[in-house]
Amino acid sequence: MADATLIQPDLEFKTAILGLDAHDLSVCYQCGTCTAVCPQSTADNPFPRKEMVWVQWGLRDRVLGNSSIWLCHQCGICNTYCPRDAKPANVMAALRDYSITHYAVPRFMGQALEQPRYLLLLFAIPAVIFLTILARLGHLTSLPAGRIVFSKLFPVEDIDAVFLTAIGLSLVGAVAGGLRYWRAMRASPPAGASRRDAPASEGASSSGGSPGRHVLSTILDILTHRKFRQCDEAPAGDRDTYKRHVPATHLAVFWGFLGLVVTTTSVGIGLYVFGYPTPWPVWHPVKILGDVSGAAVIGAASIFLWRRIVDGQKAGKSTYSDWLFLVILGATTLTGFLCQGLRLADLPTLAYPTYFVHLLLIFFLLVYIPYSKFAHLVYRTVAMLHAAPSSAALRRADRPLHPPGAM
Amino acid sequence: MAKKIGVYICSGCGIGHSIDVERLEGVAKAAAPGGPVRRSAAFCLEDARQIQADIEQEGLDGVVIAACSPRVNTDVFGFKGALVERVNLREQVAWSHPPNEDETQALADDYLRMGLVQAQKSSPPTPYTEAHERTVLVVGGGVAGLSAAISAARSDFGVVLVEKGPELGGYAARLHRQFPKRPPYDQLAAVDVAEKIRMVRSLPNVRILTQAQVQEISGEPGRFRVIIQAAGAPVEVQVGAIVLATGWRPAEPHAYAAYGLGRCPNVVTSVDFEEMVAKGRIGRPSDGRPALRVAFLLCDGEGDDAHLPYGGNVSSLVALKQATYVRQQGKDASAYVFYEDMQTPGQSEYFYRRVQADPGIFLSRGQVRGVAEDRDRNVLLDVSETLMGGDIRLVVDVLVLSTGMIPSTVDADGQLGLAYLQGKDVPTTRFGYADSNFICFPYETRRTGIYSAGAVRAAMDLAASVRDGRAAALKAIQSIEKSSAGQAVHPRVGDLSYPNFFMQKCTSCGRCTQECPFGALELDERKHPVLNTNRCRRCGICMGACPVQIISFNDYSVDMLSTMIRAVEIPEGDEEKPRILVLACENDAYPALDMAGINRLRYPSSVRVIPVRCLGSVNSILIADAVSRGFDGVALLGCKPGEDYQCHFIRGSELLETRMGNVRETLGRLALEPERVQVMEVAISESEKIPPMLDEFVRTIKTIGPNPMKGF
Repeated sequence: MADATLIQPDLEFKTAILGLDAHDLSVCYQCGTCTAVCPQSTADNPFPRKEMVWVQWGLRDRVLGNSSIWLCHQCGICNTYCPRDAKPANVMAALRDYSITHYAVPRFMGQALEQPRYLLLLFAIPAVIFLTILARLGHLTSLPAGRIVFSKLFPVEDIDAVFLTAIGLSLVGAVAGGLRYWRAMRASPPAGASRRDAPASEGASSSGGSPGRHVLSTILDILTHRKFRQCDEAPAGDRDTYKRHVPATHLAVFWGFLGLVVTTTSVGIGLYVFGYPTPWPVWHPVKILGDVSGAAVIGAASIFLWRRIVDGQKAGKSTYSDWLFLVILGATTLTGFLCQGLRLADLPTLAYPTYFVHLLLIFFLLVYIPYSKFAHLVYRTVAMLHAAPSSAALRRADRPLHPPGAM
Repeated sequence: MAKKIGVYICSGCGIGHSIDVERLEGVAKAAAPGGPVRRSAAFCLEDARQIQADIEQEGLDGVVIAACSPRVNTDVFGFKGALVERVNLREQVAWSHPPNEDETQALADDYLRMGLVQAQKSSPPTPYTEAHERTVLVVGGGVAGLSAAISAARSDFGVVLVEKGPELGGYAARLHRQFPKRPPYDQLAAVDVAEKIRMVRSLPNVRILTQAQVQEISGEPGRFRVIIQAAGAPVEVQVGAIVLATGWRPAEPHAYAAYGLGRCPNVVTSVDFEEMVAKGRIGRPSDGRPALRVAFLLCDGEGDDAHLPYGGNVSSLVALKQATYVRQQGKDASAYVFYEDMQTPGQSEYFYRRVQADPGIFLSRGQVRGVAEDRDRNVLLDVSETLMGGDIRLVVDVLVLSTGMIPSTVDADGQLGLAYLQGKDVPTTRFGYADSNFICFPYETRRTGIYSAGAVRAAMDLAASVRDGRAAALKAIQSIEKSSAGQAVHPRVGDLSYPNFFMQKCTSCGRCTQECPFGALELDERKHPVLNTNRCRRCGICMGACPVQIISFNDYSVDMLSTMIRAVEIPEGDEEKPRILVLACENDAYPALDMAGINRLRYPSSVRVIPVRCLGSVNSILIADAVSRGFDGVALLGCKPGEDYQCHFIRGSELLETRMGNVRETLGRLALEPERVQVMEVAISESEKIPPMLDEFVRTIKTIGPNPMKGF
């Protein structure tokens, strides 16, 4: 009796989550079908029923201090099989939205990316910066003459100064947010003990232990989407989730984005170390890598967009932050290609303004990482690191994903 | 006794392809029935007219129709002026045994001979039509009683409504709101009991007695004599049937001691809480401050046995309803509901959803492990088995415990004052409810003519009580109508027969009066049984009980069954042709046998099935008869005895069990193996169980060997 934990149901938190397109949660009668069909859920850490109950009871700290919401890859199987249509996947997505805003450092940035009314302001920040640079160079009134070279519009040094500073700040924000989340998870009781009859687990008790030795396996998991692919590998039945394409499409966008990061880094190295000035010729392997990667990102983003539009609510909710992230990502890549095309076509009046827009989008995409949906990069990694010891223990013991009676 | 009997053998529905119908005609003629023996390819069509013509022209007083099961075509084969006996050649011969085989033919021959005997041993009963009182007594003035009174009165029956208290309305009058009544079933409704009271007062044929209690009831359906103590003076009324609607009371407080009731002032029962809300304000009993955090506990977990049987879905709905009361106080009010099973049947599901949609109502499975209070008298709840992870503690202003609805029959002591030999009270089911079997025979208590309605029958809500009252009133009306026509009420609706007693041979043992499940028999001063005919359900259990076999019906008797058994030809010296007598309960086992035939399941042709009204009507002398006649085995097919019995006559199967003791003793005396007689349980839906069961029995009998009594 003494070990009973005092709970303080938080009605405000509950209402906030319901408001994030998760209002169907109210019809949940806690049967646990969602957890039974979830390909990611384990006996030690059963979800999403746990989250459903926690939100129903407004247990904010428990939800926010748990890794489950990020271990979920939103395959939608729970939505498909829920006998009450309570849409557990929508609740998980809403919790991730809420969680990003909650852990955001500084806090107002979380709010800004969550609410459409701040959209203009968010674009205004890079616009003012870049316009100031243009004004200083006198490019507001006249575009650079001669062959199109984007560094004539914005000198590389200026660009790098702006981005390195901004990304540096956002990195601080990301690390701070990730740390806050990590600490919250350590402070929370292990999730496995949600039922008396749940098997005692040595894995769950190690939560918050040293992540060091699990870093490599977690990174490998992320690079290969091993966990993500589980969503598709063991479907609970033959009902359509409208999400089965997601692991493959995400793998494409993920590697495409990595390719673009490698491209940009290579160009930087070429420029500063070898003094190899831009633009590089189109046949250059690094350029080809960039083109291929960009094509992968655009292709995958188009598939995501198309499926979100065509499948509508069947595939679960699509919120403001979903659309925002997807559109910014697609638009960034698209304007990148446009810049290259317009440059090669030698159309300076179109090429330079497009480049300006491209820079704004890049700024938006990269600098706001810790606060937009892109923050999953941070929080999912942290959650996977946190959960790695118990999932490794699970693998070692070669236990089935769902021992009988563990639901 | 039918003297002139016509025999009609049908060859349709595959009978003609299975057996030699001509030979069967020979069997009929050999029995010299006195009337014509005819054959048709389908007696159920226009040839049925031939039967009616024979009855009129040849003066037949009995007909034997050897065709389909007696359970079908009862309308086609119901003839005026003659007793009808049916021989089941279709379902139990042609459809369940291999065609054109000696044993199948022998089976048909035996069944026809048995049918002829049955017809010869039957005579038309003289209906008992002495009771015609067209008034219904309704005991209890709550919603169920009010509803019964209104229904009966509107059907032009007189009503005497007896209420113990000073006012009508019962518990309903104390409720704040009732569960949703109309589509979309998501809003609580005002309690409309006042409307019912107005209505009942406005009906001229309703006599209302308040502060009144039934003192004594004697007589039988159609003419009960009731003495009521009303305001201190006895009132005598004559009624035809009775509706018992005496309701419920909350479980004793000590049942909730573990949840702090009595120890913590802010722990209350759902009845207390309802009254608090009805008075207009939700407050903490300890200090009257507003109660904004209220927890509800359904008390339906393990360790709640004391009141668990008396909650049902009402507990769930009451908690949901009262949670909405809490929320009406304002946005900052919260209600927490803990349950083991949330039961919201039927339209209540919509209300459940509406409650779920309110974010300020928190619902969870859970078992309260401990209740304590802090210095401010806040209630501290420790709950385990939730899905939140570990045990949780919750601080609330008030804890509301769902109370069990204990039927008034549990503590009734002579509530109806029945002047019956078997006791003053209506017998109750396992948990004390006044009912017989809630699935098969709702409203029918074990006292014919007395019907239960409302919470005295099962835990239920107002809407269900209203329906219950109406239904019980209809049962009461049916009882009155049937009784005045001399017919059985149920389950043998319309049966005109009743037991006769050959009193000269009565040994005054009183067994029939004790074993009758319905208290139909009283004793006179010589300790002889006296039948209250309209209380009787014609099951024949008294006939099975009587050690000197003096009880018989005009169309059902020990003598008849015994002669039917003797009509079977027992082959001698052929170990491959054993004979097994099957006495099958006509309510479950016999239809199951028919169903086996319909599904073309094969069972041994060595069985000879005789339907009996109830296994309880099987007199043990019949089994002795069968074995001494040379039957190798006797199987008694009936329904499930015990607490969750399936018997139409409640105690039939159970009584047979006790009588089997005598039977085994008899077998021992005859130096026969006790395995030759077996009781088998079969429900109406278990036709597929029959072939393996009988096959196994025949194997057992063959292992034991033939009955050595054959030929004696």
